[in-house]
Amino acid sequence: MALPQPVLDFINESAETNDVAKPTNTDDLFKLGAVDSFSLVDLVAVIEEHCGVKVPDGDVNPGNFQTIDAIEQYVARHQG
Amino acid sequence: MKAYVRGTGAFLPPRVVTNEEIAPGLGMNPEDIFRSSGIQRRRWAEPGTAVSTLAVEALRLALADAKTEPAEIDYLIFGTMTPDRFIPGTGPAVLQALGLPEIPCVDIRQACCNALYALQLAQALIASGTARRVAICLAEVQSAFLDLSPTSGTLSMLFGDGASALIVGGEDENTKGGYEILDVFLSTNGAYVDDLGIRCPGTSVGTAQNHPPAEFAVDFSPRMNGQSVILQATRRIVAACKTVLERNLLTVAEVGWIVPHQANTNLLQQVAKKLGFTAEDRVVNTLADYGNTSSASMGIALDTLHRTGAVEENVFLLLPAFGAGFTWGAGLLRKTYVPCNQFLSTFD
Repeated sequence: MALPQPVLDFINESAETNDVAKPTNTDDLFKLGAVDSFSLVDLVAVIEEHCGVKVPDGDVNPGNFQTIDAIEQYVARHQG
Repeated sequence: MKAYVRGTGAFLPPRVVTNEEIAPGLGMNPEDIFRSSGIQRRRWAEPGTAVSTLAVEALRLALADAKTEPAEIDYLIFGTMTPDRFIPGTGPAVLQALGLPEIPCVDIRQACCNALYALQLAQALIASGTARRVAICLAEVQSAFLDLSPTSGTLSMLFGDGASALIVGGEDENTKGGYEILDVFLSTNGAYVDDLGIRCPGTSVGTAQNHPPAEFAVDFSPRMNGQSVILQATRRIVAACKTVLERNLLTVAEVGWIVPHQANTNLLQQVAKKLGFTAEDRVVNTLADYGNTSSASMGIALDTLHRTGAVEENVFLLLPAFGAGFTWGAGLLRKTYVPCNQFLSTFD
């Protein structure tokens, strides 16, 4: 299941803002520099808004959002 | 009985330490320190300075601001992570230095949330009739504990020394207005105890006598998982602010000023944005000049705002904080007017 376009747009725009390449599905978003701790908070909000999931505070850690694939898997696990 | 912050004081040691001075030792460059934190300089006390000496100066100023004599203080709360001694707390040293009466003194160890815990405790002491005038001292000499090597660069760049003090009193014949303590919301989650703090000396991880030498530095120095702190702080602070506003039937649009714990400028901006607080110039920010002074920072920010005279009557102040534990929360104050009888009394 692909992520909704607004989520991908957020990631790509964040990468562009940080002057790094558009990430592939398996790129480490943090190592690449596309996402940092502050933008992850915003990314989680976008995921909650567009994927129909509520991310508990305890799940807000980079491990769950390391790559686009990892985000897809997290969303798939938590969608009703 | 209602409780009010009647006076504030702040004291910063005179030595200014710029990013340019510390960046080489920390393996960083000055611009990166500023970009990632909003800090340009901080104050560090001279080596050997006891934290009580900074607190005493701040408390003198707060007493003067509250027009309160030391003899009127009947309870002292001292918040610090860097006490004069392991035992006893630092409050007794303040009593001795200022000639305060023989009163109850309690040290609290809630790090960057010390100001909120102290306000909640002071409010309860006043409301219960246990105390009439509570002195709150919030002070740190963090420079004495920092690892100034590249290993701890992103942590040690943040911290400064300083002190603040608040005088909290109830309603009585000497009422002169102030900041009414309307509410304090606090919460804690113990899953993150090692993501921020200093582990030793302690009975869980080790004392100086029994600690493995190879792990001494990492356990006896401040530690911070910055990513975890930022992620949790942003969400918890915003949630705490919303909680305290909702239970007082207020919206963020009715908040006049945000007076936060001074953690990091980027975090303060993130919190304001997520709250929908658009008046960025009304988020009190002292980070550029003083850095993160932990326990002292919220009181320094409140004192800075108070002394501008910019807070109008009936304006609400929102006081969010997040710190080691993790513990977090938000306070709500309202600037109260000077009652009519006070104007009359000036013409007696």
